[in-house]
Amino acid sequence: MLGAIFSRRDEKKALTDPELAASARAGSADAFRELVRRFERPIYSLIFRMVQDHSTAEDLAQEVFVKAYRKLETYDPSRKLSSWLFKIAHNTTIDHLRRGGVETVPLEAARDGDDGAGLSAVLPDEGVESPAAAAERRDLAKSLERAIGRLRPEYRESVLLFYLHGASYQEICEATGLPLGTVKTNLHRARKQLAQEMTSMGWGPEA
Amino acid sequence: MRSPDHDALTRWLAAERDDRSDEAEAVLLELFEALPQLAPPAGFAERVMERAGLKDAKTVPEGLFAHRWTRLVLAGCLLAMALSVLWLPQTLLVLAGTWSVGGLVDAGVRVLAGAGVWLAAAVRFGGWLYALGSTLSRPLATPQVAAIVGGCLLVSTLAFRFLRDLIQERSWTHVDPI
Repeated sequence: MLGAIFSRRDEKKALTDPELAASARAGSADAFRELVRRFERPIYSLIFRMVQDHSTAEDLAQEVFVKAYRKLETYDPSRKLSSWLFKIAHNTTIDHLRRGGVETVPLEAARDGDDGAGLSAVLPDEGVESPAAAAERRDLAKSLERAIGRLRPEYRESVLLFYLHGASYQEICEATGLPLGTVKTNLHRARKQLAQEMTSMGWGPEA
Repeated sequence: MRSPDHDALTRWLAAERDDRSDEAEAVLLELFEALPQLAPPAGFAERVMERAGLKDAKTVPEGLFAHRWTRLVLAGCLLAMALSVLWLPQTLLVLAGTWSVGGLVDAGVRVLAGAGVWLAAAVRFGGWLYALGSTLSRPLATPQVAAIVGGCLLVSTLAFRFLRDLIQERSWTHVDPI
């Protein structure tokens, strides 16, 4: 019996994204659960870095998946499922930011309130480098997070989609509804601002 | 010793300074690999399933009146109650005849005395609990014992937390279709 249960799980895990979406659309709760598990990290990561609050991020991420479930019939299987989900995440997050009138976020507060579920708890490869290098890597990651948090929301979202989630320009256009030129300009300006922020935090070449 | 990420950062900032856009983009991609993908709290998928209305419906207790015998017993009780109403006035009159002011005062005194006995017992039990607590907490005044107890509490708290997360994550409901 256990074998049957696990083989059914493995079966869902082996499905491609469009197959999984089709199966969920056909009414399979297992398929939808697997879809959520497959994309919960990128969606939650994106939203958390946009709103800088764990409980809000979880609530919005849940909303994203619920909306996705209700609108599964509108998903075009010829496109990437992740892009479609990012689009829903974009709309949901933007709605939230507009509702709350949040333009910038108290990053120091967010950093101080890091309860270990944040980045410092999951930084990789510390076992193969010296403690000093590991500490520096951690500091660098924290500074980068802070710099990202200081970007305007539209810049921040493009940066996260492009650099963190590996989305292409076209996928960012689809997710955000912005024209290609605007996306490229946003990314360019965001990169410049990130460099300024990192330098102002003491991460210049002389550091 | 500088971390590889710091080297990448230096290269990125240099590329930005010199307006080497393609290189800056490539190095920044490398740098972003240091940022982890954050995971939502354990049990996230199940909460989504619940919110989407896909979670197994919780076992609803069977209706109280589902069984024929329950209905019959209930009907019998109602009938008995209705019949007893017919004798209610006579019963009340009899009861009123047996009551007197002295009897009421006597009953009140007995109730108060009983309550006093119970209160005394409760106070004695409280005193005993306090003595037990004082005895147990005396060794905690020693820093070594306090540290060991604190350590044990911490370890057990972490173990319970881990177990709870594990149970939530590997719940059998994960594999059960609706």
